Amino acid sequence: MSAAREMLCDTARAVFAEAVTAGIAPVEEAGFGLLLVPETENGFGGDWGDVNAVLQIAGVVVPDLPVAELIAGEALQPAATVSLMAGAMGQALSLSIDHVNTRQQFGRPLGKFQAVQQSLAVMACEVRAVEAAAAALASRLDAVRLDVIAADFEIAAAKLRANRAVGVVAAIAHQVHGAIGFTEEYDLHRVTVPLMRWRGAHGNDAFWAARLGRQVAALGGRGLWKAMTARGA
Amino acid sequence: MQGFALYPFDPPGDIAALRADLRAWLAVNQPQGDVVAQANCWASFDAGFSRALGAAGYVGMTLPVRYGGGDRHPLERYVVIEELLAAGAPVGAHWIADRQTGPLILRYGSEEQRERYLPGIAKGELYACIGLSEPGAGSDLAAVRTTARETPDGWRINGQKIWTTGAHFSHIMLALVRTEEGSERNAGLSQLLIDLDTPGITIRPIIDMAGHHDFNEVFFDDVLVPHGALVGERGQGWKQVTAELGLERSGPERYLSSHALLVALIDAAGPDPAPELATLIGELTAEMWALRQLSMSTAAKLAAGEDPMVEASVVKELGNAFEQDMPRRVQAIVDSGWDDEDDLAKLLRALLIASPSFSLRGGTREVIRGIIARGLGLR
Repeated sequence: MSAAREMLCDTARAVFAEAVTAGIAPVEEAGFGLLLVPETENGFGGDWGDVNAVLQIAGVVVPDLPVAELIAGEALQPAATVSLMAGAMGQALSLSIDHVNTRQQFGRPLGKFQAVQQSLAVMACEVRAVEAAAAALASRLDAVRLDVIAADFEIAAAKLRANRAVGVVAAIAHQVHGAIGFTEEYDLHRVTVPLMRWRGAHGNDAFWAARLGRQVAALGGRGLWKAMTARGA
Repeated sequence: MQGFALYPFDPPGDIAALRADLRAWLAVNQPQGDVVAQANCWASFDAGFSRALGAAGYVGMTLPVRYGGGDRHPLERYVVIEELLAAGAPVGAHWIADRQTGPLILRYGSEEQRERYLPGIAKGELYACIGLSEPGAGSDLAAVRTTARETPDGWRINGQKIWTTGAHFSHIMLALVRTEEGSERNAGLSQLLIDLDTPGITIRPIIDMAGHHDFNEVFFDDVLVPHGALVGERGQGWKQVTAELGLERSGPERYLSSHALLVALIDAAGPDPAPELATLIGELTAEMWALRQLSMSTAAKLAAGEDPMVEASVVKELGNAFEQDMPRRVQAIVDSGWDDEDDLAKLLRALLIASPSFSLRGGTREVIRGIIARGLGLR
């Protein structure tokens, strides 16, 4: 990550932490609404890679505030939601790892049990896939200067992949946490409930699958690979 | 594992031209036979194709020119590999030699070994197999019992390997053997490069449930190989094998080897598919696209000289699940008779039968998940 993006992320963490109690006002005051506005127009001049990084933090810290709407327009909300989801899933994984390494039963940490290890490995794979999807979508959006028509394939694939991961990630996170993860006091629901909401927002599985499926069908069997490789790398 | 970065896939040179040239070459040279040979194509043996591919410069691409290679960047090779797999080209003969044995010889082998073996590998003419599994050492690889004792004449090998893919057509085996008497587990192991025409070696076929002869039992009965057969450092076999497995598990073959079925499904669905077919095609495409991003990032990390063992395991786990799931989901939706002879039906039948092996070969699902869990900081 570039030094400029590191600084941006540090700022986001600090501002979002304040916003947890203060609401969206400090986020607006800090100028996050200008993230994508060019420097020539007195904006930050950021790209979608920056937005992806910032929204992954927002997805963990302030999932209920309209940060994505502040940064990007309606057409980019499906892409923005993928970043929020990647962040929230990373946090669900992090909380789960901490919990199973700490919580002891039968005289040892839960993380020592193979059944728990295998579950967390499955969850980690899903989280990695969504992080990769968010990053690949960001590089496509930046390559086509945020033209959502030119990035339609990647938006559909990334949102669909993220949607499909929600079921696995939220289920395993709650399962390995046991009862404490089901309490209001514990932080897990602060990411799992937004994940459930985001799966249905800006296009659920059926919406994107049908759309992507029709697009691919029009390419023909061999056309899929040609299109995929022509669009990146 | 947390927070590890995605590595940008940024190969040098004109990648669009590399793809275009290879596609044009394949249009002329790829055998247009049975569609089933295109599925699981890295198990399809075709020595003539491998030789032609080598002559065209697409085998041993990353090896130095002085050993017959192309001195190309590993990510250029990655592009070639994904193109070959997506096309369903029969790359099985040279696959293991090109993917892991050649790079391992280059990294750990002696000058004599490099000069002796690498040019043949780069020509697509010299084939290799992997001597890891034994009857008592499957997932528990450290239980290897095949021994090699150093004598004045060379190494004397006794023991047995099993599930050895391609031993029957390979010229060499890179074997993990116990060289230190009385050693246990992952200590005291070394890698030997064994010419398979050496006296005392017996290779017996094991026919798989699809009726194919891919793997074998290989018996070593007082087999004498020269001192120079040792690869790398004596006693460091475990470390070298771990590096080899990184090469074995990270490639695009873990999600792209049954691409022919997706192609047939899309063609059968037509340009205006029924809703349930469009949904299935969309879901499979999203999964494949995400897997490609993960696989490319892992290849980029490997090319940067880092160890992507955990990332490679993520690709293998998700890729295996994708490839096992695909024929099941296609069968659940497409009305296709078991004995039908159209492309889709033939591919479906072949992949349903082949797919149980996907999460066994190259490390079982349970072992792979264990590696991922360790990467997460569990255990």
